[in-house]
This record gives sequence, C-alpha cells and structure tokens, in this order.
Amino acid sequence: MKSKLRKKVTGGLALSLVLLALSGCGGNSANNNNQASESPSPSSSAAATEAPSGEAKISGDFEIQYFVGGYGDAWWKEMIGEFKAMYPDLNIKESAGSQINEQMKPRWIQGDPPDVVYIDGAGSNETQMVQDDQLMDITDWVKDAQNVDGENLVSNLIAPPQDYNGKNYTIPLVFGSWGTFYDAKLFEDKGWTVPTDWDSFLATSEKIKAEGINPYIHTGKYPYYIVGGLLNSGFVSENGDNAQILKDQEAAKENSFNNDAVRKTLEKVVEMRDKGLIDNASFGMNHTDSQMLFLQHKDAMIPNGLWLENEMSKDTPEGFKFGFIPSVMQNAGGKYVAIPYTSNIAIAKKAKNPEAAKAFIEFIFTKKAAVRWAELTGALMNVKADLETSSASDVVKTAMNYFNGSDTIVAPVFKLNADLEQAQNDATIALLQGTITADEWIDRMEKAAAKVRG
Amino acid sequence: MAAMTKKLRPASSWRRKLFMASFLLPTFVLFSVFTIYPLLRGLYLSFFDWSGGSETMSFIGMDNYKELFTDPIIPTAIANDYFLIFWKVILILLFAVFFAVALTRLKLKEYGFYRVVFFLPNIISVVVIGVLWSFIYNPSLGFLNAFLSLFTDTPVTTNWLGSAGSAIWSLLPPSVWAGIGFYMLLIIASILAIPSSLYEAASIDGAGEWKQFTTITMPLIWEQFKTSVIHITITTLNGSFIIVKLMTEGGPDNQTQVLGYYLYQMGFKQFHMSYGATIGVLILILSLLTTLILQRILHRETIEM
Repeated sequence: MKSKLRKKVTGGLALSLVLLALSGCGGNSANNNNQASESPSPSSSAAATEAPSGEAKISGDFEIQYFVGGYGDAWWKEMIGEFKAMYPDLNIKESAGSQINEQMKPRWIQGDPPDVVYIDGAGSNETQMVQDDQLMDITDWVKDAQNVDGENLVSNLIAPPQDYNGKNYTIPLVFGSWGTFYDAKLFEDKGWTVPTDWDSFLATSEKIKAEGINPYIHTGKYPYYIVGGLLNSGFVSENGDNAQILKDQEAAKENSFNNDAVRKTLEKVVEMRDKGLIDNASFGMNHTDSQMLFLQHKDAMIPNGLWLENEMSKDTPEGFKFGFIPSVMQNAGGKYVAIPYTSNIAIAKKAKNPEAAKAFIEFIFTKKAAVRWAELTGALMNVKADLETSSASDVVKTAMNYFNGSDTIVAPVFKLNADLEQAQNDATIALLQGTITADEWIDRMEKAAAKVRG
Repeated sequence: MAAMTKKLRPASSWRRKLFMASFLLPTFVLFSVFTIYPLLRGLYLSFFDWSGGSETMSFIGMDNYKELFTDPIIPTAIANDYFLIFWKVILILLFAVFFAVALTRLKLKEYGFYRVVFFLPNIISVVVIGVLWSFIYNPSLGFLNAFLSLFTDTPVTTNWLGSAGSAIWSLLPPSVWAGIGFYMLLIIASILAIPSSLYEAASIDGAGEWKQFTTITMPLIWEQFKTSVIHITITTLNGSFIIVKLMTEGGPDNQTQVLGYYLYQMGFKQFHMSYGATIGVLILILSLLTTLILQRILHRETIEM
C-alpha cells in the first residue's frame, strides 16, 4: 500500500519533470528553427545552362535572411533558384517571412547570424545594425566588385553604398523616392495647374480648397511621411540645393537643425497650416486611411513614397490616375529635390560563408535582375536599367524621368538615428497641431541631436 | 499499537511531504522560469546599456535610472496612466455595480440575455476592439462623427484621436466598454452569495432599495469591490499598452503616451532595450506602491455573515 502510493507519487513527479523538460526544450529549439526552408530546386533551365564563372569554389551552407512585405518573395525565389543552378554544390537556406526580423533576432544576439541579410520591414534598422557591429565592413571589396556580367557593381547603382564615417556596410537594393502625389484625373477635370514650386503649390491649393476639397492630407500617425515628402526637400531647397544638410542631420551635428534653411522650411509649413490647407483628418490617421481618402477624391494631394500605387492597387477606383512630383517646397525657379529611400542588403560580420555571400551579391546586382525586380514588384531596384519597355508602373517611370532629368536634385541616401527620427516625428506633429512654434521645433531637435552625440 | 504509530509517523510525513512537493515543485519551477527569472533579468538589464540587438552590453550602473528622472516623456506617461486608472476605476465600477445590482436585485426576466450582452466585449480580442473603435473615431468616415452630424447643421469633423484635447479621453470609452462585463460578473457572483433573508428582513423593517444597497449590498460585496479596484489598477498600468499601440501609438506628440507603450517604443523602436527594462522596473514599483496605498485606503473591517 505504502510503496504503491510512493510509486504513484514519484511517477507523477517524474512525469511532470519530463513535461517541464520538454517545454523547456521546445522554447529553445523554436529560437533556432526560423521558418527555414530549403531552397526549391532550380526550375529555370535557362539559368542552368549559364556557365559558372571561373573557379567554382563556392560551396557549403549558405543562409539568406529576407523580409517579405509589399514586394513579395517572387523575385527572391527566382534569384535564389538561378543562383543555386549556378552553384549546385551550395546548400542554400532561406530564412524569410513577414516576421523574420523578430524571429532571427536571438540568433544575431547569440552571434549566429545568416550570411546575407536584406534589411527591410518592422524591427529592422541598418544604422542600428552597424552600431551594433553586426555587419561586415565591405569598403575594400565593394569598390572593385564586379557583377556576374562583368560590370562594375557600384557604378551601376543609382544610390551608392551608404557611407558610415568613410566605411561601407550595406548596399541599397531597393531605390525609391518620397514626393507629393496628386489626383491627376481630378486635376485635369478641374483644370488645376500641377505645382512646380512653393508659390504655385499654394495657389493651386487655394483653388482646390475653394472647390470644397481638402488640398492636402498626410499620415499623421506616422509623421515620417510628411517629413520625407515635404520637410526634407524643403531643407535642401532652402539650403541652396545643397543636400549636405541631410547628411549633417544624420550625423546629428550641432546646428544641423538650428539654421535658416530649416527655419524657412518650417515657416512654410506653418503658413500652410495657418491657411487651413491641411486636412484636419490627418492627425492620428494611419497610412491606409489617409491613402483611402486620397483615392476617394476627398483630398487632392498626399506626401508618400513610390510604393503607393502598388500598395493601393486593390483599392484604386476605376479611372484613378496617380500624379507624382518629387517636391513642392522649392522657391520659384528652383530645382526639384528628390528625397530617396532605400532598403539595403548586407553581409553579416560573422557570416560563415562570406565567399558565397559576396558571390550572391555579385549575382543579383545586374541589369537583368533589376528589370525582373521592376516587373515582379512594380518598384525600382537600385540599378540603372532601362525600364521604359518593362512593365514597371507609370509612376515609377515618371519618377525615373525626374531623377534622370537636369531639373531634379537627387539627395543622398540618409537615415536619421532612431531617437532623432522619433523626436522629429513628435515635433513635426506638434508643429502641425499648433502646440509648438517653429523655434520650439528647432530647439527640440537640437536637444535630441545633442543627446545622440552623447 | 503505540509503537506502530510511532514507526509510521516519519514515513507518512515523508510521504505527505513528497505528495505536496509533487504539486508545489513543478509550479515553483514554472513560476521561477516564467516570472522570477524575467523579473530579475529585467532588473539586471536596467543597469546596462544594451540596444537589444548587439552581442555585447556595457555596464552603466544607475545611468538609466538618472535618465528616467530627466526624460520629459516619463511624467507625461505617468500622468496619462493615472488618468486612465482614475477614470477606468470610476466608470467601470459605476457601470458594473449598477448593472450587477439591476440584474440581480430587480429580478429582470431577461437576466441571462443581459448577462451575455454585457460580457460580450470580454470575449472579443482587444485587437478587434481597438480597430473597431478606430473606425468609429475616424474623422471623415467614422460612425461617431456621422452620428453627431445628424444633430448639427454642418458636418462634424472632430478628430477624436488626433487632437491635443481629446486624444487621451478617446481611449477611455473602448477601455471602459471592454472592461465592464468581467467586473459585473464578479460583483453579480458576490451579490448572489448574500442571503436573501437579509433583504427580506430589511424590507420588513421598511428599508427601500437604496437603503438596502448602501447598508446590505455594498458592505457585503466590499471585498470583491476592493479586489476589482486593485485589479483594474494593475491591469491598466501593465496593459494599457495594447489599446495605445492599436489606436494612437502614443501620438500625437506623446499626448497618449503611457509607460507600457513607452517601454515598447524605447525597447523595440528606438533600440534602447535596457532603458525599456528600466521603465519596466518603474512600472513594477508604481504597481506595488499603488496597490499598497489602495489596500490602505480601501481597507474595511470584514463583515461576517
């Protein structure tokens, strides 16, 4: 009797311990198996016949991490398939998905990163990855690197690799620009002139307002839309078209926010606010909602990025036409300023197969791949390629014409430190709400920059 | 016989201990792994400078705590947290007690129906509630402005979630609406436990409904009431994050910032994981202090039935 009970009790105890151990194991292994899937066997026979370039010592395991968002994964699957066909000895592992940044984070922290990482989507920030010493210094390699077609990799790029105190860690893969989108069909119907500078922007806006339509809406919940599409271009224009101001702000330099260029830009924003040209609905509104109002002709203009047309393709009403201007803040006779955004690709500092990683980058930065990118995603890859004949969207082609024209300055790629960006978002919304003045905006930013400098 | 019991006792007490341990030990291990360890780990992290992504972190002592006192957003967040606690406690318990009394004491025929209706928001995911109310508040397409416009000459275009004055107030209705049902059930349960003879005696003595409520119901449900106040307080301090994340992300310009969301923003959006952990410690301290104070304020002599 006694021993029977004891048996039961110890049995129960053992069982619970086993369960406990199992749950512990589950937690651990979940960290390491992030949706990894073996790459599909190459399907494209055209790629298979391509001759491997010279010494084919690229082999072993190769892991690539890429975020899957608005651009989908079709391009990645195609590229990886062709790459695998070129190097059959390579065992390619894809860690991909919409939550991949969070899923891979434990591995980055433990020093077990993938070889190549495409930095995009929520929870990713290339500046932070550089600060955290996670990415490989590719300065020496990238300046002479050639793509598989034998062309110089860097000279093919629209935006060069981002500069971090003279060093390169990332290469922009996706290129785009912020700007002002307008309701082209509505503009045509009503006979409004498309703004070419600040004065014509104000004049057109007044006309739009007189018709009972809101001239301008922005994504108030995420103020970086209006910062990217309006303020930043103003900073450059008012700085005598010198985009160095943005790089100074990126470096959190003293007085990079406290200067006349910034002050004059903010005064323009205040003028716009006080004239009631900004839809009051903007505040607190997310991107989808603000874009829906634009598509429903309730608002005539919206600051946004080149992804807009694709993003809203399912909700765009019949006959709606997107118009795009890089900037509206330039003074009469001034040049357009295109503020670029990029999503970058990088090699991990602790990559286990850096040779394969470099080979992969050389493989994807080709004109052919850029055309495929445009066709599969509707967006621009960061390689100068002829898109006129491709199926890229009209807005993207219009934008490309602006970038190639002499009337447009394309600012260098820059990204504010996360703290500065947050401060700028908060201050800009407060300025638009009228709860702070332009001087207070400047004051806040200078303080935030001082804190970043430490 | 005596010898036998003497011999048995050590064995049976060992068995008893083993039996208890078989329940306590797994619980204690789980509690340690999932509660004590994260708590201590958070405390440990708060003494470091760590972005949340790097392999290394550097010890900085109390610097994160000094930062807490100079950070202008912290007072705003604390004020907003207590604003939400204050109004949630008052409004949720007002409605919950009212409905509970109405449903039990007024002997409504539709008791079962109302109980389900009021509890419904509790089984809806908070995410759905947040999105739903964002649509209601939408300044140009939302239900609220469309409804208000019925009574005015010009369309109402109030931006509920985007104006400095109204943003934090606009977070109250969804939080209150989502909270009533649960506390109503708690209070119904404790009202049903009151012997009906007390009410009968009271009415024979001539006490009206209000008198019965203040002298019988309230004193006898006080323990439940107190628990509810403290529970609302703790869940608001720890959980107002969700509704803020869904509806405003702390904006515009931190006007709806709360500690929980600020922790998330610092840890995951601005890459100061260790500072986020410090905010977590602050939340813990505030929760403890508030609970202790509330315990003192709400303390009454227990009434034995």
